[in-house]
Amino acid sequence: MEKIKDALDFRDFSKPEKVGFAIFTLFLLAFPWLGAGSFVKAVAIQFLLFSLFGMGWNTIGGYGGQVELGKAQYVGIGAYTVALMMVWWKIPFWVSMPIGILIALGYSFIIGYPLFRLKGHYFAIATICTSLVLQDIFINWKLVGAAKGIELPIHEHPDFLYMQFKSDTFYFYFIMVLFYIAIFYMNWFRKSKLGYQLRMIKEDEEAAESLGIDARWCKIKAYSIASAFVAVGGGFLAVYNLYIDPYSVMDLDLSIKIALMAMLGGAGSMWGPIIGSAFLVPLDRFLGSWLGAHKGLIGVDFMIYSALIMIVSAYQPRGIWGIIEQFRKKGT
Amino acid sequence: MIVLDALLQGILMGLLFALVALGLTIIFGMMDIVNFAHGEFLMIGMYTTYWTSLFLHIDPLITLPASAIVGMLLGLASYYWLVKYLLRGPMIAQLFGTFGLMLFLRYLAQFLFGIDYRIIQKGLLVGKTLSLEFPYLGIFRFDWTKLSAAILSLIAFLLVYYLLHRTKLGKALRATALNREAANYMGIKTERMNALAWMIGGGTVGIAGGLIVNFWYVYPTVGLLFVMIAFASVAMGGFGSIKGAFFAGILVGILEMLFPMFGHLTGWDFFGPHFKFTVVYFAYFIIVVLRPQGLFGWKK
Repeated sequence: MEKIKDALDFRDFSKPEKVGFAIFTLFLLAFPWLGAGSFVKAVAIQFLLFSLFGMGWNTIGGYGGQVELGKAQYVGIGAYTVALMMVWWKIPFWVSMPIGILIALGYSFIIGYPLFRLKGHYFAIATICTSLVLQDIFINWKLVGAAKGIELPIHEHPDFLYMQFKSDTFYFYFIMVLFYIAIFYMNWFRKSKLGYQLRMIKEDEEAAESLGIDARWCKIKAYSIASAFVAVGGGFLAVYNLYIDPYSVMDLDLSIKIALMAMLGGAGSMWGPIIGSAFLVPLDRFLGSWLGAHKGLIGVDFMIYSALIMIVSAYQPRGIWGIIEQFRKKGT
Repeated sequence: MIVLDALLQGILMGLLFALVALGLTIIFGMMDIVNFAHGEFLMIGMYTTYWTSLFLHIDPLITLPASAIVGMLLGLASYYWLVKYLLRGPMIAQLFGTFGLMLFLRYLAQFLFGIDYRIIQKGLLVGKTLSLEFPYLGIFRFDWTKLSAAILSLIAFLLVYYLLHRTKLGKALRATALNREAANYMGIKTERMNALAWMIGGGTVGIAGGLIVNFWYVYPTVGLLFVMIAFASVAMGGFGSIKGAFFAGILVGILEMLFPMFGHLTGWDFFGPHFKFTVVYFAYFIIVVLRPQGLFGWKK
């Protein structure tokens, strides 16, 4: 009970933040009825999905300060669990998604235990390695469709149990519900004991350990929470796309995008991942569709995208939220 | 016999991997930055050799200086225009900064050259093999391209080793890596040493690219594979250790060749050639967990 109260308690935010959040919520609720085209709707769903991923990453990467670049393997675990269970045994989404979360949690503990012996660059590269190993296994594993991937059976009628709808509006509201659960969870998380412990570890790990915080165990816990978040998103991706393959759900690019959005928005802050994905997802998609239409300009969208990454990391590593906070401090 | 053959082939590949890893380890040893764009430097070295040999109608082996110069310029440009600013930020910004550089170079190459797979078809050594017959052991066949690439990369490696360990410049560079502030007090221009490290790193990987393109397809995303191999070798040898990079590179080459061989002998599908790089990633994971400083590392 206490936890739920904490999660719903937004009192310690400043007034502009609260107002902004309320307007944003109303906008999201009304969004499907504003007459947006299917492409814009798809972009909005992507935005919510990547915010969810980013908030997950933020627990370990933002609050914990660990550069984690292997989140795609958990997207893959979540997506494959849902897809395979549906194809093999016709198990509904609502059963297979929690199982996917459990598998992701178990896997993250197994991987996390040796992983968090490492620090800094070693850790970052090791997370990439684990992700690549899992991707290679799935690319070659015939049982799960290998490189071809798997298609989910399409139901003729909309089916709530299997999360199959004709219109994107339902998917939009579903991912929006997940998104708000994530926001409430993060609101609780940042005030929880683990949240404070992680921030302490980020500031000074030795000092934290001398105060009796088991740094490695805290990091493993945060890593598992992040993995669970991402696995939920992966499950959604499977029913939304109705098709998955190792390249689309387990690629290194996906891991990087997840971490990048959180960092661009401002790692370690409540709104950072949301701002980051609100900025990057539309940029990515609109640039892609605009430039992709011109022959001979293939890749230019990624060049602009990567130039932006370089500029942000060179000049404002604290992200957009860092810039906003700078202005606010000047104002008062 | 077949194992011995694989072992020798592995060593040849390993010498090239060592040269790729060399630049990465020098840069890391200098300023604790992992250069994600390293594989893309390699890719650009490969393209340089490919295009110069195609347009000037000369043998790909003669174009090596061009690859080296392009690599050096690339290293210098990345240092002065990007890395210098990244150094002020936290580690995560450094990781993403070089990662952005990697994406930029990759898609620039895709924009300029398209996504086609290209390989050098003309050249003195292309397609020729060397057969050596030994009593009791039988015949060994080596591709001349691989053999010459391995020998040249060994020479390049030794030259850089000489530069770093026997010259005054190398001494200054190593001093900066050991203790930046102290080196600064001794009158070493540490900023210039950083740039030098990036120049050497870019140059060596440019040469490696020029050598590899003789027997490997070049395409815009070729870098990722090599950068992961280089990460694995550098981690095995210990970040910052040049000797370590050399031996670990060879070890990775052998691993990558022996693994499919093992599958071939046992007939077990799991050890197939499609997993030969997976085993390298896995080896990285095991080694850094068990021995974080690497086999020859001095920096933890």
